[in-house]
Amino acid sequence: MATRIDTLEPIPAPERPPQRRLSPREWARENLFGSWLDTVLTVVFGLVVAWLVYRLGKFVFVDARWEIIERNITNLMVSRFPRDELWRVWAALLVLGPSLGFGAGSAAAARRREAEEGRAAVVPERASALRRLGPLLLLVGVLLWFAQSFQATLLTLAVGVLGVAGYLLGRRVALSGRRTALVVLLGIAAAYVVVTGFGGVGWEDWGGFMLTILLAVGGILLAFPFGVLLALGRRSSLPVVRAVCVAYIELFRGVPLIAVLFMGAFMIGFLLPAGVERPSLVTRALIALVLFTAAYVAEIVRGGLQGVPAGQVEAAQALGLSHFRITTRIVLPQALRTVIPGLVGQFISLFKDTSLVAIIGLTELLNVSRNITAQPDFIAQGLIVETLLFAAFVYWTGAYWMSRESQRLERRLGLGER
Amino acid sequence: MRISKVWLLAGALLAVLVLAAGCSLGDDDDNGNGEAAGDTGQAEAGGGGGGGNLLAEVQDRGTLRCGVNDAVPGFGFQDEAGEFQGFDIDFCRAVAAAVLGDPEAVEFRPLTAEQRFTALQGREVDVLIRNTTWTSSRDGTEGARFLYTTFYDGQGMMVREDSGYESLEDMDGETICVLSGTTTELNLESRMQALGVNYEPLAFEDNEPLQEAFVQERCGAWTSDKSQLAGVRSNFPEDQGGPESLVILDETMSKEPLGPVVRDGDDTWADAVNWAVIATVQAEEFGITSENIDEQLESEDPEIQRFLGQPVEGEPFDSGLGLPADFAVQVIRAVGNYGEIYDRNVGEGSALELPRDFNALWTDGGLHQAPPYR
Repeated sequence: MATRIDTLEPIPAPERPPQRRLSPREWARENLFGSWLDTVLTVVFGLVVAWLVYRLGKFVFVDARWEIIERNITNLMVSRFPRDELWRVWAALLVLGPSLGFGAGSAAAARRREAEEGRAAVVPERASALRRLGPLLLLVGVLLWFAQSFQATLLTLAVGVLGVAGYLLGRRVALSGRRTALVVLLGIAAAYVVVTGFGGVGWEDWGGFMLTILLAVGGILLAFPFGVLLALGRRSSLPVVRAVCVAYIELFRGVPLIAVLFMGAFMIGFLLPAGVERPSLVTRALIALVLFTAAYVAEIVRGGLQGVPAGQVEAAQALGLSHFRITTRIVLPQALRTVIPGLVGQFISLFKDTSLVAIIGLTELLNVSRNITAQPDFIAQGLIVETLLFAAFVYWTGAYWMSRESQRLERRLGLGER
Repeated sequence: MRISKVWLLAGALLAVLVLAAGCSLGDDDDNGNGEAAGDTGQAEAGGGGGGGNLLAEVQDRGTLRCGVNDAVPGFGFQDEAGEFQGFDIDFCRAVAAAVLGDPEAVEFRPLTAEQRFTALQGREVDVLIRNTTWTSSRDGTEGARFLYTTFYDGQGMMVREDSGYESLEDMDGETICVLSGTTTELNLESRMQALGVNYEPLAFEDNEPLQEAFVQERCGAWTSDKSQLAGVRSNFPEDQGGPESLVILDETMSKEPLGPVVRDGDDTWADAVNWAVIATVQAEEFGITSENIDEQLESEDPEIQRFLGQPVEGEPFDSGLGLPADFAVQVIRAVGNYGEIYDRNVGEGSALELPRDFNALWTDGGLHQAPPYR
């Protein structure tokens, strides 16, 4: 694509080829039954898919004995979290709902404002809020169906209503991007304090899906800045900084996550003198996940940094911007934008990697799903299929939601179009 | 990027150095622990901070770290409220009751079979009560010290009733389902070799898929610890034939004495754990239960008075174990005597419905005999 530097006129959008509207019948004939080979393939694979869907559907809705999930739904969500402190979790959700809603609303308003001012391309928001939250709503619905609890349904509805209220408020108030982020982070911090503070339950006693979320969200929030710093360090002109960053990244990318977790969980005892109090197992797992993920984030971000043309930096230097401002205002925004797909991929993988902490004895979602089959009422019933299917569904909804959000972000930032 | 080769090299060197430092540090400290543990007496004199006196450390910390299993029916699992339950779990609670006076002051650390000794050596757990078989090589090379055997298990063979098998010799050419990487697999091999019986092993990582294969008749027999087989049998789903469709052969292919394990080299701690466990057996011998403990405290029998820490001729008996005089009372109030623990978790009152067999008291033809408490 030619770069025009002789004018400040915006580049006109390229004309798209005219789109042909096809009736379903035409579409099917063209795509599925174009030739006799196509027809054979369509029929064969259609039958295979139909058979698989039938088997799965029959298992899920007819054969499966979901009683083990129904009775253990609280266990799967929080595991050893003390039951008489459960109100704290609900209180935290009641804080999280509106603050996340506010953030989303404020961000939506900011986008609209930018589009109106002509600073950003107007991208039609095809997905309505309901569709955007689809996978998560499906997850919540399934969880409530298993819980069969009036109280839980009511509280979930309250969280939803507060979330929508926060969204509407956010659209009206429309804070700047930085303040919006602050509100969201404050909400997360407040929710954390509600659970742990004032005689609450420290994260060493968390379990189940709650622990999975703690490790995933905590891991993402900590690994991202750490990874960006490592990436910048690796491109630094200071040789020692660069060498340390290179060594760190290559060391952690060369070691399996399980080994890092195992070292953190069992080898620390050999390194620390006896009698020294060591951090809780959850903390160690979180640190291991962050150390590991940061190395990957660093390499992804470095790819983005390399994609920023040198001219950008030189132009900024010519304008007299400081090194710090060049990095934070010119280079990073452009670099991070291009690596969103890679980053989200890494975070999805971190979300699923949290299940590996099961091997060091933490009772997160997967571990609970596996060990509830040892309960006296469920011994020797062959229920592992049901429990693992449930865990797979929960992981899938989370990962699918993240993946769809990243695609939406890409569309909005106009990636892949320029 | 223009990273010069020199710096790349320097980075690699640094990484190697960091690794080497980590390893040598580990070695040093390992030795240090060993030495510290060797002269327990001195460390004890030095007060809580020392490496050798775990009893004082645990009492200082206020919680017991117990390495357990979280997925063995009857022995260790998490109930619907997320609480640990089971035969092994109750002995963790017994030790906590004896040492700390509070059966709830336990931090459970679920461990896999591969990790358990590493966790014990790395001081992640104070005691390991996780259906661990006492063997010479574990005692010798894992730096582990095995205490009073709480459960005498043995490897058995379960077959379908209609197969007509009555002993291992009948099973020539049969496919046998077994868990991979366990002593079970090795025991099966050596036993069958000794008998000269040909068989086809079908190995699985987990019990659940193994059962699936057994139900689908991909194997004609299933070998595992008898306690586990009995648990599966008594809970076998009716639509797959129910318990009556299965038979556990009389033969026992191995000895599996299971019990608590502590680190080598800390005798004070080992004694404390050991006697907390033995107290449950002693209580059953005396007929003391969690129900009648208050009446027993009034007992005139000097043996019982001594055991329960009641003053005999003015002074409560002190055995010098470093435990409170009334530790047995604490243990019995918390978990009951051995028979109660057994019945509640794995015996007649449980889903496993195991008979006492070897695990009966010596007076009933079993193997449990508490050393005299005097």
